[in-house]
Amino acid sequence: MITTNSNHHTDAQLRVNGLNLSIHETPILNSVSFDVRAGEVLGIVGESGSGKSMTAYSILQLLPDGSSLSGSVELEGQQLIGASESELCDVRGDVVGMIFQEPMTALNPVQTIGQQVAETVYIHGGVSRRAALKVARETLNRVGLPEAEFALDRYPHELSGGQRQRVVIAMAIALKPRLLIADEPTTALDVTTQAQILAVLKRLVLEDRMALILITHDLAVVANVADHLVIMRHGNIVEQGGVQEVLATKAHPYTRQLFEASGHKPDREGTSLTDKPLLKVDGLIRDYRLPRTRLFGPSRYFRAVDDVSFQLHRGESLGLVGESGCGKSTLTRAILGLDTIQGGVITIDGETVNAHHTMALSLRRKMQVVFQDPYGSFNPRHKVNRLVAEPFHLVKDAPTGNALRAVIAEVLESVGLAASDADKYIHEFSGGQRQRIAIARALVIKPALIILDEAVSALDVSIRAQILDLLASLVDTHDLSYLFISHDLSVVRSITDRVLVMKAGKLVEQGPTEQVFLHPEHPYTQSLIAAVPQLPD
Amino acid sequence: MSQSNVNAPAWYTASRVLIPGLLLVALVILAALVSFVWTPFDVTKLNIPAKLQTPNTTHWFGTDHFGRDIFSMIMVGARTSLAVAVLAVGIGLCVGIPLGLTAASMQGSLLDEIIMRGNDLVFAFPALLIAIMITAVFGPGAVNAIIAIGIFNIPVFARLTRGSALSLWQRDFVLAARVSGKGATRISIEHILPNITNLLIVQGTIQFSLGILAEAGLSYVGLGAQPPTPSWGRMLAESQTLITLAPHLALFPGFAIILTVLGLNLTGDGLRDLSDPRIRRR
Repeated sequence: MITTNSNHHTDAQLRVNGLNLSIHETPILNSVSFDVRAGEVLGIVGESGSGKSMTAYSILQLLPDGSSLSGSVELEGQQLIGASESELCDVRGDVVGMIFQEPMTALNPVQTIGQQVAETVYIHGGVSRRAALKVARETLNRVGLPEAEFALDRYPHELSGGQRQRVVIAMAIALKPRLLIADEPTTALDVTTQAQILAVLKRLVLEDRMALILITHDLAVVANVADHLVIMRHGNIVEQGGVQEVLATKAHPYTRQLFEASGHKPDREGTSLTDKPLLKVDGLIRDYRLPRTRLFGPSRYFRAVDDVSFQLHRGESLGLVGESGCGKSTLTRAILGLDTIQGGVITIDGETVNAHHTMALSLRRKMQVVFQDPYGSFNPRHKVNRLVAEPFHLVKDAPTGNALRAVIAEVLESVGLAASDADKYIHEFSGGQRQRIAIARALVIKPALIILDEAVSALDVSIRAQILDLLASLVDTHDLSYLFISHDLSVVRSITDRVLVMKAGKLVEQGPTEQVFLHPEHPYTQSLIAAVPQLPD
Repeated sequence: MSQSNVNAPAWYTASRVLIPGLLLVALVILAALVSFVWTPFDVTKLNIPAKLQTPNTTHWFGTDHFGRDIFSMIMVGARTSLAVAVLAVGIGLCVGIPLGLTAASMQGSLLDEIIMRGNDLVFAFPALLIAIMITAVFGPGAVNAIIAIGIFNIPVFARLTRGSALSLWQRDFVLAARVSGKGATRISIEHILPNITNLLIVQGTIQFSLGILAEAGLSYVGLGAQPPTPSWGRMLAESQTLITLAPHLALFPGFAIILTVLGLNLTGDGLRDLSDPRIRRR
């Protein structure tokens, strides 16, 4: 499939040569060169800070103030470096389309989807409003939003994340651009949606003979879609070539490192599984009250968690998978005793959890939580020692003074940080380090259960591998059990003993992890597992 | 990526507005303090023969229609303006912040509704109207001006506090604090309040300058500090009939008000930048 394309079109659609970029004297890109041909997908893979997004922004010259760019960017023979702003405006949106990561913010909430797609056509296409709307309709049909269900006058809030991303794609391709740049287009989406969006992109590239640059941190995503691969690190291209060759030979050590980190399995042999139940959830029901539609009408409810029952044993690592909106986080909050439940019983070591202030502190001590966002889970105004010591609020005779400092130093060292980090502010740490601090905060009062709510989802693959190793090693030294909540099935597979699959508030399947992954019984589990992008072995 | 320019770190940018702002405010405070022990002339003593002098070496800012020294009156007037504004903002902060924090921590509850609708009610009355009402009951005076402006400040701070606190309650670090068993009061004080202080400081300085303007306005219509206590607003009112004859009578109190308000606004901007550790430590 790939070779036939390149035979027909030997001319590169986009030719980037020796691109150098620095922002305020800080070098960002260092002689980046690559070609993309029509009808081909180029995957740019790298971790955060590798310069992959900046490469894309350099092509369109959408750069922050204080940037200096040199080199050559030729699009269909036209040199873009040094082009005037008005020439670039013609290129952007018309010849080059762009898709961003976050479909929730990429659309204007007060305009209909039809207007937004037609807008680009109207501005660049030189056609009437009516013709622009007609093009918008056709384009929406092409991205899989048929007229029957998705009329032009629908608003973004009426659509799901995947459907919104389709609208964003429609906006980008409405004018049949020669080059499409997609910056992490599926990172914010669920696996099944991700698979659909990637298929749409691939189909459009072949139909319109566009060139597509697909920027991602996930090797597995590009492995199935891309024809060529560029691997970037610290602003340099470390390796590039056909996707099969690069993934088969893994010539550069960094490529190998990325590859291994993506499928990293922490060593969990030492885990001591017991039959003693630690957490018991029985018939849990959690309803949310919806806003009233009429002033004196009856209240309506949305059942977010519907009759969920499971057990978690001491020393066990239990996974909970499901797509966004399935009730995972609601379940977490109920277990932590943060929300009042409408039915069922949650017990920890036989004691009942409730959201009331009567819940004993000794019971709260037994669980801690690590959240997804390493940037939002800390009060930016406190230093690390205060942040980490927060759970000591639950302990009656909490250590103070030097004893407290010693405890904090110990826990920071156990998560691989230095004791001296206690006197720093949280913004001085990277995402991975922050997640270590979050784990330290959870560990400091030696809980029996740690709930990891998408705790590694926001991290780069190599950092993710380190955090997974850390979690695996802490089980032995700290006598822990984990409830590992994630939408990322490969991570759940690598770190859990048993797994629960949740859909629309209900548990649809549970069992030992390997058994569920190898022989999924429920159709939903089967579709989830089939949608996970796989790296070739 | 978001590195600030090496040549102009953020604290420098902040201090560039903070220093002139603080200098102006310090000047006004100094004038007010010095006026307690010394003024060039006695502001309560009339000296009709020396009336309506233009600025000269004896009377730096000239004299009014009673022959009183304008410079001395501005110094003593600063006292009134600052006292009224400080106390009025103080009332707004002390009542408004706890109300806003309480409402945010019990979002959607009956108490939240009562607090916020009560705020709406107070907001619906213009400050001037409240002042007239209070004056009608208790008679005019500086204390009643303070109460009137202070009441008007309460819903401003309560709303600001509640609005920003609501978004903070959704943050993970607040959730983490709840997991640590901390109650609503404790979270409000430890986690919510420190994260909204910069907003409150900025709003505080805006309200402070609005307070100075409001005091001037109330005095202008005769509802503020009563004669013989000098007040910038009343000086403006008294200059009105003589504006063509002696424009300097309006000019100097006007400048005093403008410079004080400008100084406060610059200080607010500078303090906001400095109060953020992400900027300070860079």
